[in-house]
Amino acid sequence: MNSTLVEVRNLKKHFPSPAGPVKAVDGVNLKIEKGTSFGLVGESGCGKSTLIRVMLKLLEPTDGKVFFRGKDITGYGFRQMRPLRKEMAMVFQDPHLALNPRMTVFDIISRPLKIHGLARGKGELMVQVVETLKAMGLQTEHMIRFPHELSGGQKQRIGVARALVVEPEIIFLDEPTSALDVSVQTKILKLLDKARRERDLTFFFISHDINLIRVVADTMGVMYLGKIVETGPKEILLEDPHHPYTRGLFAAVPEPDPDKIITEIKLTGEVPSPVNPPDGCNFNPRCPYVQSRCREIEPELKELADGRSVACHLY
Amino acid sequence: MEELLKIEQLQVAFSTEEGPVEALDGVELTILQGTFHGLIGETGCGKSVTGQAILGLLDNNALIKGGRILYRDQDLLRLSPRKIERTIRGKEIAMIFQDPGSSLNPLFTIKNQIEEAIRLHRKAPAEKREEMVLQALKQVKLPDAENLMYRYPHQLSGGMKQRVMIAMMLACNPKLLIADEPTTALDVSIQAQFIKVLKELKEKLSLTVLYITHDLAVISELCDYVSVMYAGRIAENLSMRDLFKDPRHPYTIKLVNSVLGATTTLDQLEEIPGSVPRLINPPGGCRFHPRCEEAIPVCSQEAPPLREIKANHSVACHRR
Repeated sequence: MNSTLVEVRNLKKHFPSPAGPVKAVDGVNLKIEKGTSFGLVGESGCGKSTLIRVMLKLLEPTDGKVFFRGKDITGYGFRQMRPLRKEMAMVFQDPHLALNPRMTVFDIISRPLKIHGLARGKGELMVQVVETLKAMGLQTEHMIRFPHELSGGQKQRIGVARALVVEPEIIFLDEPTSALDVSVQTKILKLLDKARRERDLTFFFISHDINLIRVVADTMGVMYLGKIVETGPKEILLEDPHHPYTRGLFAAVPEPDPDKIITEIKLTGEVPSPVNPPDGCNFNPRCPYVQSRCREIEPELKELADGRSVACHLY
Repeated sequence: MEELLKIEQLQVAFSTEEGPVEALDGVELTILQGTFHGLIGETGCGKSVTGQAILGLLDNNALIKGGRILYRDQDLLRLSPRKIERTIRGKEIAMIFQDPGSSLNPLFTIKNQIEEAIRLHRKAPAEKREEMVLQALKQVKLPDAENLMYRYPHQLSGGMKQRVMIAMMLACNPKLLIADEPTTALDVSIQAQFIKVLKELKEKLSLTVLYITHDLAVISELCDYVSVMYAGRIAENLSMRDLFKDPRHPYTIKLVNSVLGATTTLDQLEEIPGSVPRLINPPGGCRFHPRCEEAIPVCSQEAPPLREIKANHSVACHRR
C-alpha cells in the first residue's frame, strides 16, 4: 500500500500544574500514510491541538517518539528541524491571529521561501507567490494588502498559501475553518482538496466537527482524554463505529435536516479532568457498557480484521 | 396562535469613528406564543443586535432610527430604560448569552445568584426562595442540585453553567427567552444534552424562545419558525420545514447548501462567492445582490420588501 510518512509511537505530553501533571497527550499511536488525508476528531480539551504541536516539535514530548519518513526526529533540535519545517507546514485555527498585521501579503507568503532559500532573486520570489495566490483563488493585487484589509476567508486562504508555497510533503491543519462562516468555509475546503490532488499532498486535519472531518479525510481518528480510542478508514468508522465514545459522539451531532432529530443521548456526564484521569479505560465512568475490567485494565489499541483499530475491551 | 412579540421595520445604527454603521435596516419578524423561533445568519448580520434591541441592551453608541417592537401590544422602544428594567427584563423577557462563564458572577454561589433574580422579579417570601432555586435547578436536569447550589461558577463546567443560566431564567418565569448562541461554546455531546433539556422545557412549560444562532443543524433540532438575516435585513421568514425543503431566497438556498451534514460530499457543497459586506458602506438595493447569481438590474437599485408568498412564509427578493 502506501508508505508511512509520519508515525507517532506512544507519544506523551504532560504539562506541570499545581494539582499534578496535566496529561494532555497520554500515549498516542498513529500512522499517516503518504498521499492520504488523516482527520482527527475530538472534543475541546482532548489534547488534539497539543498532539499536533508535539508532532511538529513545537513542543517537546514528555515521552514517546515521532518519526518522519521513517527517521526518528524526537531528539532533533532547532537546527536539525529547520530543513524539515519545509516539509511539514501548518495552518492555524484563527486566521486573524496567525498573520503578522504589520506584514503585507507578499511578505507573509514570501517569508518561508526566503528562510528556506527556495527562490533566487526577487523575480523568482514574485512568480512563486503569485502562483500560490492564484491557486488559492486570490489575485495579484492582494499582494500589497495588509491582513486587516482582508476578510476572514481571505486571511485563511493566505494562511494556506503560506503553507503551500514551500511545497511541503504534509500540511497540518488545526481547525482551519472553525473561525469562518459557513458560506466561506466551502471555498477553503474545495481549494484545499484541489491543492492536495494536484500536488499529491498529505493532510493531517484536526477538528471538533465530525461532519467536516467526514468531508475532508480518508482516514479518521477519534481522540478522547489524551488517547486515540478508534482509528481507521473513514467509511468503516462512519458506517459502524465500535468504541462506545465514538458511537456517542457521532450520535450527538445535530443534522441539518428536520426529519433527523437526535432521539437518544448516548453520552452523559462530562469529560473527566486530564490531571487525574480514571483508572483502566479512561472512558469507563461515562460508558454504558462498562465492565469490572474496564476500571482496572487499560485497553490497548487493537487492529481488527476490517482495518480499523479500537481501544476497547468489548473488541 | 397568539403573537407574543412582533418587530416592525426596526432600524438601528451605530455611530463609529469611520461613520454610521447601519446594523439593522428594517427588520421584521413575529414570534408566536409557545414556539421556538430561530434567528440565523452569519457573523455581523445583526442577529445579536436584534436580540439586544428587544431588551434595551444596545451599546451606548447605538441609535434606534425607527420601527417598533411590540410585546403584547406595548412598544418596548417607547418604554424608559428604568421601566424596561423593572417590568420587562428578566420578568417578562429573559436572555442567555453565548459565554456562560462571563454571565455569572464569580464571587457568589449559584443559589445566591438565582435567589437574587427571584427577589427582583417575583413576590416570594424569603423562606420559599430556596425551594424555588432547587426546583429550577432540577428542571434543567442538573444532578445533585442540593449541593450544587452552594457551589461557585468556577466549580462548574461550561455546560452546567449554561444550564444554571436557564434555571435562573426559569425561576423568574418569563414569557419569552432570548438565547444568543447558547451552545456555541459547548462541545457536541454537551450541546446534545442542553438541546434535550430545552426540548423538554418546551413541552412541559410551553416556553417561547427566540434562538439566535449561525448553526442550521441546531435550528433543525429545536425550532418551529426561522428568520434568515443577511447584512442587517431579513431575507426570509419561514417555517423550519420550509427552510430545508422549500427555501426561496437565493441566500437562504446557498446557506442551506453550504452546511455540512452526515451525507454531503464536497462536490455537493455550494459556495457563496465574495464575502459578507461591511455595513459601514453596504451595497445599494438588495444587500445580497453583489453575491447573487440571479441578480437583475433592479436588484442593485431597489431594496426588495418582504412579501408573503404563502402562509408563514415571506421572502425579500425581486426574483420571487
